[in-house]
Amino acid sequence: MEAWLDPALRLGAPLAFLLVTYAIGSAIERRHFRLLRVREVRSRHMPVATILEPPADWEVTGSALVTGSVVVSLDYWKRFLAGLRLLFGGRVSAYETLLERARREALLRMKERAHEAGYRAVIGVRLETSQIAPNGRQGKGTAGVEVLASGTALKLAR
Amino acid sequence: MTFDPRLPHEDGGAPRAHPLAEAAWLVAGAAVAGVLLTALAIGVADVASRWLPATVEARLFGGAFAPEGDHPRAPAARDVLARLAAHWPENPYAFRLSVTDLDAPNAFALPGGLVVVTRGLLEQVESENELAFVLGHEIGHFAGRDHLQALGRALVLSLGLQALLGFAGVDADVPAVASRLAERGYGRGQERAADRFGLALVAAEYGHVAGADAFFARLPDAEARFGRRAAAWFATHPVTATRIERLRAHAAERGWRADGPLTPLRGAGSAETSGTSGDGPEWGHRPGTGKRSHQASTSARSASRAPASSRRDSAS
Repeated sequence: MEAWLDPALRLGAPLAFLLVTYAIGSAIERRHFRLLRVREVRSRHMPVATILEPPADWEVTGSALVTGSVVVSLDYWKRFLAGLRLLFGGRVSAYETLLERARREALLRMKERAHEAGYRAVIGVRLETSQIAPNGRQGKGTAGVEVLASGTALKLAR
Repeated sequence: MTFDPRLPHEDGGAPRAHPLAEAAWLVAGAAVAGVLLTALAIGVADVASRWLPATVEARLFGGAFAPEGDHPRAPAARDVLARLAAHWPENPYAFRLSVTDLDAPNAFALPGGLVVVTRGLLEQVESENELAFVLGHEIGHFAGRDHLQALGRALVLSLGLQALLGFAGVDADVPAVASRLAERGYGRGQERAADRFGLALVAAEYGHVAGADAFFARLPDAEARFGRRAAAWFATHPVTATRIERLRAHAAERGWRADGPLTPLRGAGSAETSGTSGDGPEWGHRPGTGKRSHQASTSARSASRAPASSRRDSAS
């Protein structure tokens, strides 16, 4: 075996894996963002707010707790990008897009569930993020984050 | 109360660079930082390896590495090694020799004064003089502190790569990569200096340098016989016609006799030893100069300084 071949393979295999995970991950991400937009446009008629009391002019006929949750994990590529950020600092935009997708997806799931049950608005909305598995740098466990959207769904007489 | 049915911001409200562009900048930055750090660390490793006293080296590595493997010819080889080392006045090492069970002929200098030779080498040398030059060459690496430099660089490269790739979360087999990179061999200057040092020891021991390069002259045969595995020698030691020519020219320059009786190597083995250098390759002739061991050993002393000056051209 040529002398350069062995280091080339040892470094090349993770690099090839990186590029493959980038290609797959970014295709999935683009598709997800597209679908998020479509669903957001479809459900934009439903008011979603953080106010704790319904506005005075609303005639509320029923209410219920609604939730929507998403668990997301990193891919190899995003972990690599974020790892480089450990050296230099700065915006970890690889994580920003991931969490943005998770927040929007969680809100949409909450709204869609409320809509299916006949509710017209959700107030007192909160977003919570919690780590559900330790960071997987050493290959133990998978780094995962849950984003939970919750609120009070209202039935309105009108 | 009216609600403004706005859609959420895309991109979290802040535009971001293309991920590949971001990665390219980060990797380039890491590469620049890595190169600078590695260059600094290699400098530190080189200086440290030159100044690490042999006594400390022996304490650090005395018991490390291979146990003494054996071969019928090993006692004779140890004897040759001891006799050659006696011609190096400043020798701080208590040399040990161990045999490793490989077909490919090769020899290595390891920290702590351990010379490792392969079984293939012991079986393929046809006279004591041939073996003496190979062992003298390895002693030359000790004299130039080349063996420590290679180890220090491997260590430093390993640490540097580990820090960079580890941070980035890439699971590469870092120590293996680093040692592969570092074992690309010694620099050409180091090899040349070790050759001269070894040749001076041979001249001092035998009073002539006949047979010293016979082993290299035969190597292409060995490669044909053992296939690609014998190429291991080529990977760590340059064997070229130029090298042999340079050795002969150096011997002629120093006035070392190119002919003389070859000493048979003790111990069971298939190789036959011949009485004179008549059937071996000829060294460059400078008849009648008749320099003897006293001068040869002073040359060994001056050659020991050579690696220090030529160490710089060994960027690996």
